[in-house]
Amino acid sequence: MARMKFYCDAERCIECNACVTACKNEHEIPWGVNRRRVVTIKDGEPGERSLSVACMHCSDAPCAAVCPVDCFYTTGDGIVLHDKDICIGCGYCFYACPFGAPQFPEAAAFSSRGKMDKCTFCAGGPEEDQSSDEYKKYGRNRISEGKLPLCAEMCSTKALLAGDGDVLSDIYRKRVINRGASAFEWGVNNSKIPG
Amino acid sequence: MRVHTLLMMVCLLLVGFQLQAADPPSKPPELSSIAPGAELWRDVRQRDQDVTGTTQVRSPGADVLINVSGQAWREYRMQELIPLSGAAIAIVLFVILLFRLVRGRIMLENGRSGLRILRFTTNQRVAHWATAILFSILGLTGLTLLLGRSFLIPVFGAEGFGTIAAGAKFLHDYLGPVFVFALTWLFVLFVRDNIPSPKVDLQWLLKGGGLFGKHAHAPRYNAGEKLWFWLASIVGLAVIISGLVLDFPIFGQTRSTMEFYHWVHSIAAIVLIVVSFGHIYMGTAALEATFEVMQTGYCDSNWAKEHHDLWYDEVKDSEEPVPQQQAQPDPGARQSTDSA
Amino acid sequence: MKKLTRTSHDVQQSAPEQATSPVPGALSRRAFLKNSSLMAGGAALATTVSPVMMKKADAAVTSGGKTEEIKTICTHCSVGCGIIAEVQNGVWTGQEPAFDHPFNKGAHCAKGASIREHGHGERRLKYPTKLVDGKWQKISWDQAIDEIGDKLLEIRKTSGPDSVYWLGSAKHSNEQAYLFRKFAAMWGTNNVDHQARICHSTTVAGVANTWGYGAMTNSYNDIHFSKAILMIGSNPTEAHPVALQHIFKAKEENNAPVIVIDPRYTRTAAHANHYLKIRPGTDVAIIWGMMWHIFENNWQDKEFIRQRVYGMADVMKEVKKWNPAEVERVTGVPEAQVYEATKAMADNRPGTFIWCMGGTQHTIGNNNTRAYCAFQLALGNMGVSGGGANIFRGHDNVQGATDLGVLSNTLPGYYGLSAGSWKHWSRVWGLDYEWVKGQFDDGSYEQSKGKDVHVMNTKGIPVSRWIDGVLEDKANIAQKDNLKAMFFWGHAPNSQTRGVEQKKAMDGLEMMVIVDPYPTASAVMPDRKDGIYLLPAATQMETYGSVTASNRSFQWRSKVIDPMFESLPDHTIMYKMAKKLGLDEQLFKNIAVNGEEPLVEDILREINSGMWTIGYTGQSPERLKKHQENWGTFDYDTLKAEGGPANGDFYGLPWPSWGTPEMNHPGTPNLYDTSKSVADGGLTFRARFGVERDGVNLLAEGSFGKDSEIKDGYPEFSDKVLKKLGWWDDLTADEKAAAEGKNWKTDLSGGIQRVAIKHGCSPFGNAKARAMVWTFPDPVPIHREPLYTSRRDLVEKYPTYEDRKSFWRLPTRYKSIQDKDFSKEYPIILTSGRLVEYEGGGDETRSNAWLAELQQDMFVEIHPRDANDAGIKDGDDVWVEGAEASKVKVKAMITRRVGSGVAFMPFHFAGHMQGENLLDKYPEGAAPYVLGEAANTAFTYGYDSVTQMQESKCSLCRITKA
Repeated sequence: MARMKFYCDAERCIECNACVTACKNEHEIPWGVNRRRVVTIKDGEPGERSLSVACMHCSDAPCAAVCPVDCFYTTGDGIVLHDKDICIGCGYCFYACPFGAPQFPEAAAFSSRGKMDKCTFCAGGPEEDQSSDEYKKYGRNRISEGKLPLCAEMCSTKALLAGDGDVLSDIYRKRVINRGASAFEWGVNNSKIPG
Repeated sequence: MRVHTLLMMVCLLLVGFQLQAADPPSKPPELSSIAPGAELWRDVRQRDQDVTGTTQVRSPGADVLINVSGQAWREYRMQELIPLSGAAIAIVLFVILLFRLVRGRIMLENGRSGLRILRFTTNQRVAHWATAILFSILGLTGLTLLLGRSFLIPVFGAEGFGTIAAGAKFLHDYLGPVFVFALTWLFVLFVRDNIPSPKVDLQWLLKGGGLFGKHAHAPRYNAGEKLWFWLASIVGLAVIISGLVLDFPIFGQTRSTMEFYHWVHSIAAIVLIVVSFGHIYMGTAALEATFEVMQTGYCDSNWAKEHHDLWYDEVKDSEEPVPQQQAQPDPGARQSTDSA
Repeated sequence: MKKLTRTSHDVQQSAPEQATSPVPGALSRRAFLKNSSLMAGGAALATTVSPVMMKKADAAVTSGGKTEEIKTICTHCSVGCGIIAEVQNGVWTGQEPAFDHPFNKGAHCAKGASIREHGHGERRLKYPTKLVDGKWQKISWDQAIDEIGDKLLEIRKTSGPDSVYWLGSAKHSNEQAYLFRKFAAMWGTNNVDHQARICHSTTVAGVANTWGYGAMTNSYNDIHFSKAILMIGSNPTEAHPVALQHIFKAKEENNAPVIVIDPRYTRTAAHANHYLKIRPGTDVAIIWGMMWHIFENNWQDKEFIRQRVYGMADVMKEVKKWNPAEVERVTGVPEAQVYEATKAMADNRPGTFIWCMGGTQHTIGNNNTRAYCAFQLALGNMGVSGGGANIFRGHDNVQGATDLGVLSNTLPGYYGLSAGSWKHWSRVWGLDYEWVKGQFDDGSYEQSKGKDVHVMNTKGIPVSRWIDGVLEDKANIAQKDNLKAMFFWGHAPNSQTRGVEQKKAMDGLEMMVIVDPYPTASAVMPDRKDGIYLLPAATQMETYGSVTASNRSFQWRSKVIDPMFESLPDHTIMYKMAKKLGLDEQLFKNIAVNGEEPLVEDILREINSGMWTIGYTGQSPERLKKHQENWGTFDYDTLKAEGGPANGDFYGLPWPSWGTPEMNHPGTPNLYDTSKSVADGGLTFRARFGVERDGVNLLAEGSFGKDSEIKDGYPEFSDKVLKKLGWWDDLTADEKAAAEGKNWKTDLSGGIQRVAIKHGCSPFGNAKARAMVWTFPDPVPIHREPLYTSRRDLVEKYPTYEDRKSFWRLPTRYKSIQDKDFSKEYPIILTSGRLVEYEGGGDETRSNAWLAELQQDMFVEIHPRDANDAGIKDGDDVWVEGAEASKVKVKAMITRRVGSGVAFMPFHFAGHMQGENLLDKYPEGAAPYVLGEAANTAFTYGYDSVTQMQESKCSLCRITKA
């Protein structure tokens, strides 16, 4: 059975933020909520690399574990989804998530965050596939349309991959072989940068 | 103890990164064992001890690539907080039950005198009950969020419990700040007579409060009550401060800040809840003629003599007869508390 | 006004059958997912898309009933990414990746991935608007056109046609750009220009004068064949992100070393194998420094140089001066790094050479671009797949607008402004040359070889200098009067330097007309009470036509949605304007007009009929539409269609696509590639500069294209050459009639081109490229210090030019500025560049909520050392004061990306002016989400010695805490 995964190839990610806006575009995400983001480490210094981050749809998802109302569920394809009708917006999933995936529409007094929102792997939520309710709460359900997440499909350099974990592994393995050992020496020349 | 475990976990993680970072980064990965997610994050860890970076997204914590404290918090919550707090509550309730079975209801040695002494002003009583009611609501709603998934979902179902939990969260978040005022009010009204008098208090404690033998000398508040007062005040302050930090996430608190205050809040609250069971039992069903004191503000003079003899000596001149409608003993109270 | 639907789903709701799942049952869905994993592979390797997938996707949509899939092209950069827009009931509801598009394989950058916002965004210029007493007033189209037209005619009467400036746009389609240029000609002025002036004008001039054509020689896709990649002054990760898809393919599959030369450690540099951090403005020095190693080690391709290059010996003489010590002294890059990078290029051939604005926007920009060319010629990297000068253009249609002559120095097709050129175009337009000439001011203000030159034949004021056309003393300007009215027809003023003076110039005009989907900073910069008109133009998503990508490929855009609000397509506005001015009959003589909208296809046909120089003749609307319909049939590496309706064509018929459309020339994927027959897209270097100079042969020697019947160099083709070769009779009778007395550029039948190609020859001849351009101020490129330089010690050895009295109609200063030492007061070098989220002046992208959220503050990058010296902390507000004392208030970003002593600002922001927020001055609801200081407010004087390109990559500044 397919087990859906995201994979971001740091050798290719250039922080163009296409994944971020593609996600906004596909799900009409409001200003301030970002289901996906790109983080650059060592910005402006030798060894700089960027990674696109969103919900990684963990097998043993910490968000699901700590949720006080048990609103998370994992689909047969390994996609971690949640039910906004049950979510109480406590923020625990955000504390526990290693990737900072859970987002909240507001951050107001009295802990008012609104219902949690996160990457759905473009798989919607518990509502009927492609229903109006589903779209309003979770955005478009591409998986049910036979498509993969738009962020990965639109990635400028094909750094961000989405799909069955085994297939992604194959792709990555091929890339590593293509690159040869040299690809892992990045930073060697860069260490000579003056100033 | 909790601090240590948590710190150790964080340190271990960091050390882990450092050790990995010490490996030559040029080493190609094992081609045979590629697991996409793991590979990616291992890369990051190998190359960077610090897992923060820059990002164009502005939501809180967006610059943190890997939230290392999340796992520690998860383990704390799931493996320690929930089971241990559940156990603590169970144990305390069991101890109280045991105590009741061994000691039974403690009656006034000399029965009622028919004379009463003013012990609590109306102001004090309102403050007490306001605090008590708020405390109960906050405690119950807090426990709902903490333990409800284990105990209430099987009863109400996920959706039903979702509604209950949403209500619980609402009450908890909006009444929490009110509790701040209630507790402050209570503190101001009660602090004067709760200032420790070391000699008497120590003796009272050494005698175990007279629970298992002769009455110990006690002023207006005995050492047990004082301990509860200070525990409620100090731990309560911790609950309040941590609660406010959690309740107002509008100052850019980071996840680790929130995790830390959640840790403080949860432990402090559980301590208060557990101890409050003792207070509630002692104040209601354990001793004859006790509950009525906070009900009416007056105590029976014999009750004062037995439990707070030093105070009684000070105030005995103010004894007055019990008004007619309150003169009867308290079968009602006994009944209700016994059945509780 | 069209009622806007904010969310697409409201539309879906109106189609109830959508609610039922098109993929019933969990089992089939899972089965499908198994297939879909294939797609992940396909997408990742950018090769195949599972057809099963696509079918199902289609099924899902069509079950909703009315979803239309419309193919168009992204408007944000010159890569030309394909877009599939899903439209329901006229509302743009979805955007799907165009997996079968040969350039991008469905990929996008932040801008392309958010382009659907343009179909919903409300931060637009909505109605014709006029400034009355300092307030914006909505007016009707008719009133606007009437008032503007009357004013134009009044100015024409009092000051002459040259007092109106027609500033066009690289955001126009080819048809609109051409029509705009033609419009200016009908109006009677050469004061017409567009962003290419401040983008790649030095490239076009430098490159065209080296080997014939001023364009990217190969393509993004052709980088797949590169064995090495050198990028200088180019940061495609931010400016052309999808290009990285192609660069990484070569890097990973060919193990091609990537070399980045840039003052900043850019996101591109982070992915490079070699990074050379140069001091801004030392491009010639670093290239000559690299070539020093080439010649020192005999790495040059001697045979290639002998056969196909003129003047390399002169270059060698100059290069000799650039020993490693001098290179390090001037550029700051140590010998070892220069050597390693050069060796990487020498060892891995063919290697491609990529440059952008970092190289072009300098007072010596033309020297820089020619040095780059010389480098590629020395290594023999030209005319081969995998090599070439891969010049990444900027705007989506800057190549097209340049080709179509929206420039003050040429008519469409680089014909220039000579009488012969005007006669050629008058013929194409079906107009009497004398009528056209009569439209101009009948004066002469410049001399050539002692003779007066009619103003019709002198270069107009370039856009970079329009400011001076207003502010300069009338007596010093080589035209009748100062500029009195400006048309900003798709131009953001914040992309131009000297912002404060520009504001002053705006205040000094009699009328400003801004034709744009957005009000742009032009609407808010001036302190005017009246005399500004804002006309809402439709975006390219709201009209259709062709667009030329950086690689010279034409792409057809279909209309996605109707124009929003009261906006109109640019060509419709041009029609309205022409009608008012009484020029419609002439302007649209060959072009049908439906109502008020000129027929786009007819405009393209007219382009086809006149643009013989660069082979814009084969790309008929029908052929382009066929390519659009068959994206998937073109090969991802070679761009060649294998089978299918466009069999044999290269995608988009990259120009030159010789002859008439009927000739079916497939386009030329890589310029000057002699390994292909000209009929199959091969070429030689162009014989543009004569056949000999000082007794030295300028034609190729022993090098010729495949199938060429002339086995040596040859001059360009004309009727005489054909007759001499005995090929005249290959022409048909009709062709003969048309070709008599004409050459390959002016023969409107295309017969001369057809016959030359039939014999395997390039119509433009077969010559050597010239590494030495004797007509330029510096025949061999030399290093000259910037006008505002911090290296006073180098000024004596590398001085700038003498001041010039009349250069493109205006006095132009060089030495008088450099003579003064600004480096004490302004110690930090200031440079500028792009951000991936924004494009150009940024009005469009800062009005797009999905993009604006990602870049909310204008900032300056400062090195930690400089920041510490100035007591500045990360995130502080700082003043960046340019050397001409104009200053901007921005946020400090402290980073080692820039070197010590260098500061960087992105140039996309506008709406603040020297610390003042101009938000209140925008028409209501039309201000972008994000405003900020324009970097160019702080940028200074300085213009290229050939093209008047502005210097916006190297100036001086002082940074203090605000």
